[in-house]
Amino acid sequence: MFRYTTANKVAAISLIAVLAIALVAQTGCSTHTKRLQAPRHDFFSNDLPAAHISLAKLSKKRQDHSVAELDLAIVDLFRGDPITAERRLREVRAEWEELEQKSLVEQTSSYLTDDSARKYSGEVYEKMLIGVFLTLSSLMNDGVDAESYTLQTLNEQQEIVAKINEKREEPLSDLFGIPPVVPYMRGVMREATFHDNDDALRMYQLTSAMLPEHPQLLTDMQRAQSGNHSRPGNGVVYVIALVGRGPYKIETTAPVTQAVLLQADQIVSMLGDYSVPPTLAPIKIPAMSCPPKQFDLIGLEVNGQPATTTLPMTDLERIAAETHEAQLPSIMARTVARRVIKKGTIYAAKSQMNAGNLSSIALDVAGVAWEATESADTRCWGLLPREIQIARLELPTGQHRIALEPITSGRPSGPKTFCTVDVQNARNTFVMGFWPDKQPVGQIVISK
Amino acid sequence: MIRVRQLGYVLATSGILLIGQLGCRGYQYGHLIKNDQADMVGSHTAGSEVYNPLVEEAVTRLLGSCDPLPVSALEPNGMEQTRKICFVGVENKSAEELSDFKDQIYQMIDAQINRSGHFEAVSRRMVDAALIETRLRPDSLLVPSNMQLFTSVLQRQGQPIDYLLYATLTSGTTERNSSSQRNYMLTLEIVDTRSGSYKKEQAEIRKGYHKSPLGKLANYSLWPKAGR
Repeated sequence: MFRYTTANKVAAISLIAVLAIALVAQTGCSTHTKRLQAPRHDFFSNDLPAAHISLAKLSKKRQDHSVAELDLAIVDLFRGDPITAERRLREVRAEWEELEQKSLVEQTSSYLTDDSARKYSGEVYEKMLIGVFLTLSSLMNDGVDAESYTLQTLNEQQEIVAKINEKREEPLSDLFGIPPVVPYMRGVMREATFHDNDDALRMYQLTSAMLPEHPQLLTDMQRAQSGNHSRPGNGVVYVIALVGRGPYKIETTAPVTQAVLLQADQIVSMLGDYSVPPTLAPIKIPAMSCPPKQFDLIGLEVNGQPATTTLPMTDLERIAAETHEAQLPSIMARTVARRVIKKGTIYAAKSQMNAGNLSSIALDVAGVAWEATESADTRCWGLLPREIQIARLELPTGQHRIALEPITSGRPSGPKTFCTVDVQNARNTFVMGFWPDKQPVGQIVISK
Repeated sequence: MIRVRQLGYVLATSGILLIGQLGCRGYQYGHLIKNDQADMVGSHTAGSEVYNPLVEEAVTRLLGSCDPLPVSALEPNGMEQTRKICFVGVENKSAEELSDFKDQIYQMIDAQINRSGHFEAVSRRMVDAALIETRLRPDSLLVPSNMQLFTSVLQRQGQPIDYLLYATLTSGTTERNSSSQRNYMLTLEIVDTRSGSYKKEQAEIRKGYHKSPLGKLANYSLWPKAGR
């Protein structure tokens, strides 16, 4: 029989307040994937100003701020503003470093609602890719900090692996999560010093450990071992092609975990004085998704003559999937803990109120509704490419007209894009473009 | 039936306790280190605690073993003549990535040479310019024809040189269960560009790495010779 004591009233009011807050917090919320649809569409349709406007709006939302800033950095980069892109990337990196240690308030809030209540602190692959795009942005500007960015990224990877390994029985590989383009670009920069071929060789060897039999790397290693950066009077052009639409998160369900929790609910309900809300609401977790590439490689012509093609140097889909899989146990643990806390809260309320059958059912319904408000945290860097491809061209000093065109199965499959590069003796020049589909978006960016 | 009246409380409070362990968001702090304070000792790789004394010792030994010009050798303006050293670079053959220490080692060696008074290092920018012009690799400069070409380019730039200097960092690792010892050696080789003769000096530092805080005690004090 329900007894209306003061304590019961307080408990009931507290529970209702918690439920109301959780429900209100979720009302009107769409997943990040949905919010990202419009800017992604604008960017991939080559409407960079529109993408910039919608991302800038998204960036003002506390929860979406960092991922929107990352997307804005990509927009800035291909609008020809690598300085702003670099600044945005550095700011997000600093913000994520600060978020490394969890905030108690945010954690508590996320256990009462879902993971999207927390400020987003980035996935492993995103942290690595901030390093990649910092390097590329710097190279497109003055290149002063590019080497440091590569080094910082490699150091951060080691720290991340050590941290994840603390909680794993089977340690991750030393190469876990490294985008091969990071050591490769470091090797490229060390080689151009003309006196650090040993460093260049080490970096090419590290890249090769991740991409064995890569034809370009075999040549690079040979050159670092016994050759030279370039012949007298020549310079080198590196064409960096960002190809395809990159990985992003979608919401999916974990039916096995849901079934296991449902059985656990039944056991607890049998053993206890009161039932706990049954796990009817699906357990939602994020999963990685990546659209297929529209073409294979970028073909290059120099002054009207076919020269070479780019070759894949980093597969972002693979890195994102691999790092997400390694983090999945902790995502699942948080999800299950959240459900346990919610069920516990309902159980405690029933116990406090000495709930009868009707009120118990009502509380179970409220509990199920509370659990159903959860959604997976699908926040992510949405404007990444699927692949980073690179080609190396050694060319005589002076101006050269380069044509870039998508290639599928060895045949041209998209329009040519042209750019003119000024090759300098013994120096590297970097040319970068982004082909989410067969047309490039924004500008072909050339290093200064 | 087992009465588990407080089950709900237990579940809820255990969750809250779990969250409580996560602590509050922290910040990073920095501080300045006084000159007389010891360097931090790297737990996984070598750092300033290894490289600084290695450079100090190896350069001192090398310059001590090279004959400076006799006192009678004076510049036309009456200043004491110095020998010109072209420091080609640091080669890393150790098991560890030098990361940002490589350029630091170069600069330390370069500065120490210039501080000696009897020797003068050619600017690195001049060395790089000569390497770019000749497209020679640093490791190929010992071939007589290459050395001749390289020195002639420097001479044309107003930097005649007496010596070529190479620095090589190597390491040797001894493993014992979960502990290891790594011996770091910095070798400096100096080549007389006129005669082709060369001198070599080395400095070595040994460092132990342990997975357990007792590793040092076990491997170097209690059972130093017991290998298992």
